[in-house]
Amino acid sequence: MNLSEVTERISRKLESNGAQPDRQKIESRLRRLVDEFGVNAAEAERTVTADLAREYHITGVGTSGSSSTELRQICEVAPNDWVTIEGKVVALTRPVSPSMAQTGIIADSSGAIRFVAWARGNPPAMEYGEWYRIESAVIDEYRGTPNLSIHSGTTISQIEKDIPLLPSITPIAELKPGVGSVRAKVVQVREAPHDRMLQAGLLGDESGTIRFVIWNEEGKDKLELDAVYNVFYATVDEYNGRLSLVLNTAMYITDEGDIEVGKNETGVQGALVHIAPGSGLIKRCPVEGCNRTLSRQNYCPVHEIQPEFRYDLRLKGVLDDGVHAKNVLMRREVVERLAGITLDEAVQIAETNPLGMDEIFYRIQNAVLGRYYTCGGSEFDGRLLVDSCTASTFEPAELASLLNRAGGEPA
Amino acid sequence: MRPQSKFEPAREREPARRVFASELRETRYQFKDGEDEKSPNFVILPTGIRSNRIFIVGTLTEKQRQGDQNIFYRGRVVDPTGTFFISASSFQPEAMQQLARIEAPAFVAVVGKPNLYTTPDGACLVSVRVESITVVDRETRDLWVLDTARETLDRLDAFGTTDDSKKAQEEYGTRPELYKKIVYDALSQVQL
Repeated sequence: MNLSEVTERISRKLESNGAQPDRQKIESRLRRLVDEFGVNAAEAERTVTADLAREYHITGVGTSGSSSTELRQICEVAPNDWVTIEGKVVALTRPVSPSMAQTGIIADSSGAIRFVAWARGNPPAMEYGEWYRIESAVIDEYRGTPNLSIHSGTTISQIEKDIPLLPSITPIAELKPGVGSVRAKVVQVREAPHDRMLQAGLLGDESGTIRFVIWNEEGKDKLELDAVYNVFYATVDEYNGRLSLVLNTAMYITDEGDIEVGKNETGVQGALVHIAPGSGLIKRCPVEGCNRTLSRQNYCPVHEIQPEFRYDLRLKGVLDDGVHAKNVLMRREVVERLAGITLDEAVQIAETNPLGMDEIFYRIQNAVLGRYYTCGGSEFDGRLLVDSCTASTFEPAELASLLNRAGGEPA
Repeated sequence: MRPQSKFEPAREREPARRVFASELRETRYQFKDGEDEKSPNFVILPTGIRSNRIFIVGTLTEKQRQGDQNIFYRGRVVDPTGTFFISASSFQPEAMQQLARIEAPAFVAVVGKPNLYTTPDGACLVSVRVESITVVDRETRDLWVLDTARETLDRLDAFGTTDDSKKAQEEYGTRPELYKKIVYDALSQVQL
C-alpha cells in the first residue's frame, strides 16, 4: 500500500472542505499507525481522516455515517475507496464464516460487486431483489477483486426504485475476476466429481470458452448440454491463472437461438518429442455423460467396474518447437489419420496381438514420434485440444532464406 | 495487494533444444539449477542457451550392446556437422528397447539429455542419454536441419544480450561467425 497515495487522497478530501492540511503530517500519522501499530491501510486512512476532520472542524469527511455521501457507480469504485452506492441485491450467498452476517452481490446499472456485511456491525438483513442505499462502505480487495465491505459505520437504507436492471453481457474472452454476466452455450458437461458439486463443464460464446461450476445448494438446477443461457451475475474466479465461473450467485435463464462457439483457436508447430502413457487404444466408461478412461482392470474412478466399456483412440503428447514444450491431446479422428490406423483395425490388432493394447501404443509411437507437425485447436487447461494436425513438409524456400541468413561463403 | 495463488502454476516442461553435433561436441559447462537433489542439470551450449533436453535427427550409423549385468547400448548418430554419441541403459528400459530394435543405418529422431563426462586423461566427452528414439524418414531429417539452423541463427542473433549467452561467451569465447559458418555448411548439404 502506497501511503503517499493515501496522503494525497486525504489531503484532497480536506482541501475540498476548505482546510489546508500539512501533507507531511498526514503521512507521518499514517506511517505511525501502519508501521508502529500494524493498523491496516484502510483503517489508518479512516482514522487519520476522522482525526483531521475533527481538528479542522469539518463535518462530513471520514466520520462514519456521514462520509462520502456522493453517490458512486459500482463500475468505478476501487479498493480503499469509501463509497456510497445504490444497488439491488442480485444474489445472496451463504456466508463462509460466522463473522459475516450476509454475503452476496449487489448491482446497479453500471456493474455489480460482491459484498460482505460483517456481523459485528449488526447490519440490517438485506433482501434478495430489493434496492438499498449503502452509505460509507469500504471497498477492499479479496482475491484480487474489489469487494464491498459493510461494517459498523455503514448505513443501509432500503429504497424504492422501480427501474428494471439489465446486467450488461460480457464476451467470455473479456471476463475479469469479480462478477460477470454472459450469454453462452453449454458445450460440455462433466459429472460432478464429488457430491459437494452439482455440475461442472464448459460454457462458450463467440469469443471463447470458460469453465463453470455449480456447487450443490438447494434450489440450484443443472444446465442442459447444448442449450443457450443468459447467465446473470456469476462469480468469476481466478485459479492458477485460469478463470472459471461459479454459477451459484447467478440467475440463469435459457435463451432462444444458437451460438457459434469461438474456439480460442491457436496453432502450434514443432516436433512431437514425447508420447505420454495413456495414449493409443483406451477404454472408456460407458455410463452416459461419464466417458472417463478405464484402468486396465476396466475400473472407472466413479462407476467402478465396467465390463461393457467402449474403445477409443487418443494421443497425449508434447509438441516442442525448441523454445516451448506444449502439451497436446489428439482425439480419435486425428490419431487415425496421423498413424494410418482406424479404431476398428486397432481393436482387431489389440485383440489378437500378444502385446494387446500396448501394440497400438508402439505402432502409433513409431508412426509419429520425432516428426514435425502443425497442430490447430483450442487451448484448455494448458493443453492444446487438437482439431487439425498436418505433417510439416520440406520447403525449399525456407532453405534458401536460411542460407541467406547464415550468409558466409559457400563451403 | 495481489493475491498469492495457493499453488505455483505447474512448471513448464523444458523444451528440447535443437543443436548441431559440432556445437554439442564443444559443450563443456554444466551446472545444476537449484540445491535440490532432483534439480535439473543444465549445460550451456556455446551459442548461449541453457539446455537439459535436446532433440536431434540424424543417421544412426552404429550401435553396440555393452555390459553383461548392466546392459546398455551405445550408438553414433551423424548429422551434417559431425557425430552425436548416444547411450541408453537399463535405467531407461523403454529407450533401450527402442534402440535395440533399430538396425543401423537408419534415420532416427532422438530426444535425450546431454551429459558431460571427463575421461581419466582429462578429455571431456558429451553424450546424449536417450529418452526416446524412433526411426524417421529423410524428409524429417531435412526438416530438422532447417529447424536446427533457424534456432542456432536465432541464438546467434541474441548472442551477448542474454545471461546464458554472456556465460557462454565467458566459458567458451564463442565466435558467432564460426557457428554461422557451421550452419551454412549444414544447410548446403541438404539436397533439394
